[in-house]
Amino acid sequence: MFSATSASTLENLRPASEVMKLERLGSMFASRLSFVRSLMRKMITERWQITNTVFDLDSTGHGLAVYRITTPANCYHCVIFSRDLAPEQRSDRVIAEAWDVTFALVEGEVENSLLEQMAANVPLQEAGRQHPRVFVISRANKSLRNFSQFVGALAAGQQPDPAWLTAVGYLYRTTAVYGNGKFGIADFARLERNPDFNRPFAAQMLAVYVLRQFSIEQLNHLARVQSLEQAVPLHPELQRYLGVGNSTGLGMAPFLINHPQLIQQWVYGRERALASAREEPACEQTHTKLRALMARALNHLQQTRTEDREQTLRNLKTTGSVAEVIDWLDRTPAHQALYEDLIIWAREHCSLEAQELINTMLIELYPELVDSLDDELGCQESMDLQPDMKARQLKDLINQKFDWALTYREDCADDNYWFWYRSVEKEEPRLGIRGSESGAEKETALAIGPRISRCHTKLERFLERNPNAMVVEFLMAHPEQKECVRRIQTMGETPYGEIRANLWHRDMKPMHLLRTKLSFFGASRFDPKSDRWVRITLFQGAPLPCELKNPEFSLEQLDDWGFPLEPHIETGKTHQAFKGGAS
Amino acid sequence: MKVSFNELQGLSRKAFSGIGFEDGDANDAADVVAWMEAHGLDGIAALKKGLDFLLNEDKSQPPELIYQDADLCVVDAHNKTVLGHASLAIELGYAKCRARGLSVTKIRHCHNRMLIVGYLSRIARRNMSVTAFWRNAHEPLTEILVSFKAGDAEPDICMYSLPSTPDDTEPNDGITLVMVNHVNLLPDLKPDAPLNDLLRQDRDTMASWHERSLVEGIEVDAAVWERLKTQATKMLVEASDGSRQGAGAGTNDND
Repeated sequence: MFSATSASTLENLRPASEVMKLERLGSMFASRLSFVRSLMRKMITERWQITNTVFDLDSTGHGLAVYRITTPANCYHCVIFSRDLAPEQRSDRVIAEAWDVTFALVEGEVENSLLEQMAANVPLQEAGRQHPRVFVISRANKSLRNFSQFVGALAAGQQPDPAWLTAVGYLYRTTAVYGNGKFGIADFARLERNPDFNRPFAAQMLAVYVLRQFSIEQLNHLARVQSLEQAVPLHPELQRYLGVGNSTGLGMAPFLINHPQLIQQWVYGRERALASAREEPACEQTHTKLRALMARALNHLQQTRTEDREQTLRNLKTTGSVAEVIDWLDRTPAHQALYEDLIIWAREHCSLEAQELINTMLIELYPELVDSLDDELGCQESMDLQPDMKARQLKDLINQKFDWALTYREDCADDNYWFWYRSVEKEEPRLGIRGSESGAEKETALAIGPRISRCHTKLERFLERNPNAMVVEFLMAHPEQKECVRRIQTMGETPYGEIRANLWHRDMKPMHLLRTKLSFFGASRFDPKSDRWVRITLFQGAPLPCELKNPEFSLEQLDDWGFPLEPHIETGKTHQAFKGGAS
Repeated sequence: MKVSFNELQGLSRKAFSGIGFEDGDANDAADVVAWMEAHGLDGIAALKKGLDFLLNEDKSQPPELIYQDADLCVVDAHNKTVLGHASLAIELGYAKCRARGLSVTKIRHCHNRMLIVGYLSRIARRNMSVTAFWRNAHEPLTEILVSFKAGDAEPDICMYSLPSTPDDTEPNDGITLVMVNHVNLLPDLKPDAPLNDLLRQDRDTMASWHERSLVEGIEVDAAVWERLKTQATKMLVEASDGSRQGAGAGTNDND
């Protein structure tokens, strides 16, 4: 585990003033360092096995399923409870109280007593008390349209139209995935020292991956129930093209703000990967590969559909830019400084999303330089005060590293427009308009920019009277500044520091915060449902469990699943049964 | 009931905010309680004991620095709990020690003194040796010595009662901290000391307790847990149709 301040300097790291702007962070795409890609690579190289051990579903698909996950050193189980859900109870929001499926990833064997305890508590999610051997709990609701279309087609002996999965890339959509000690489950400290799950969100992503396999097997089961004679299993290409959805809202924002050292470590990892790739001279082979990757991404983005007007415009702008990037590559032969020339050209001609897509693809070109960073995206989170720092040095630090925060204006309505709070309804994070909605007196301290600016103002006044004072003396005069000061001191030493935005500002777009985190997760198909609520897809295109240990596939082949494209399947044609799914 | 470390830390943080602590103090106090409990030092019991007191104390009056020179500082906590009021005094001692090699910090008139151990673990983590000494006021007179080696996560704790009460009229409601930058000060009991009820808790025992807390969870008093929840709820905003819009969820959850 790394300290968030450990930095070996690469000369061509992009500056924080560019990278940490919220709009740019909110334009990033999943990359090969994203957590789903990283987890899949680990599963492939270590030949993890995922085996279904219990599949006790009734004719409606309800019941219990258990999957055993075997890693080189350990075993885990994913226990899935599938229940009937009344239509009026179906909600993606955290305030829901029942779901189509609930599931948990647990360490070791699932003996009967543990299974009983889980059956009584996992379906309750937040309202249950979970066992300390449980690493992750989660829940998901069905995409009813896909489910019904797919079951109907397979029961009739036909493959469903892949276009359904292009429109909505999953059968199940998770609505929260809890880890790290919530509701009695295992603490983060236990995952941190477990080599299987010591990368950020690895256990959560594994649970989601197993749900994907369950969704395939439940689908096949329901098709068989409808028509034992005629039913065919889902085609492997479609299994691979099937992901797991996730529906998420403002809950992502507090995590990003409350774990600044971790977020900076993620960004620092990605930026080091990019800096390493940019230092490489381009050759014919990498030029060709880069073009192919951009062409695939263009195709993927053209296939991505969303009802959200703003995201549609962004997608159009991005696809237009990516087409131009491909043209540029076609007319620019491979040469030593190709990548730098492309980046400079894109800065002038491409949307932010397209610029970040180029960066994602440059990272993709050099697995040998990048993949070791998989293990450097976590960090020890601790913010300690440096009480003996001179108060004037603290002021200098703010001026140098947090100048972006000093643009905040106390008396400007736009700078103070929003406030963030938690509702009494399951502590759901919400945004309110200051002055016109109640609750501002209980707001959560997420707007770091204004806090730093206020601290700076107090510091200036204090220094007029106490020019040689230490930071601790400033804090004894202003004890309410303690948290802000240690954050400034801690993050000021990191290469990237804080996300640079005033989260109170009227023009602040919460969607950028959501996308920042989701891109590191490895999300694709961003489908906003409002300015602060989004559906995405995980694991679409990822190898299947049965492929992980198949010696016919190389790591390079199996790992190449980003920006998946709609497969060409002859739909409407009867397919013979085949052996697919978990083995 | 069993809870995880993160849960205890998280709920405590919210509860301290609800009680009226500033963000930094709420975070520190929550870390201290969870650290103490996870290391077998009864953080929750200490919190339970002081909770009524905490709820009623005046949060607006910070500790007062009544004397300082280059190596020594004396802070009056005005009969407040160490949870919200000791951290800056400790940090002042740390700053002086960094400058001078050794510092002495006296915090006068404070409650819940055992809880200070949780914050001292941070000082040790920052590579400073720190020893805390205080006397409990009740009979028999008890002395407590807590000593962290620089860099260690757990301290050695030594508690004993004195066979006879010295003729002393000063109230026993303070703590003395000695911080040393370059060597470790560790308790070394005199072999001929006439001590009663000697209780020693060593680093290994506390490390094992911490390990067990992570694997099995932490047992908490359900009544205290409910009280913490009640305090935490004070920071939550009542729901309304308008506020539900503030979550920004779509109106249709089907697809």
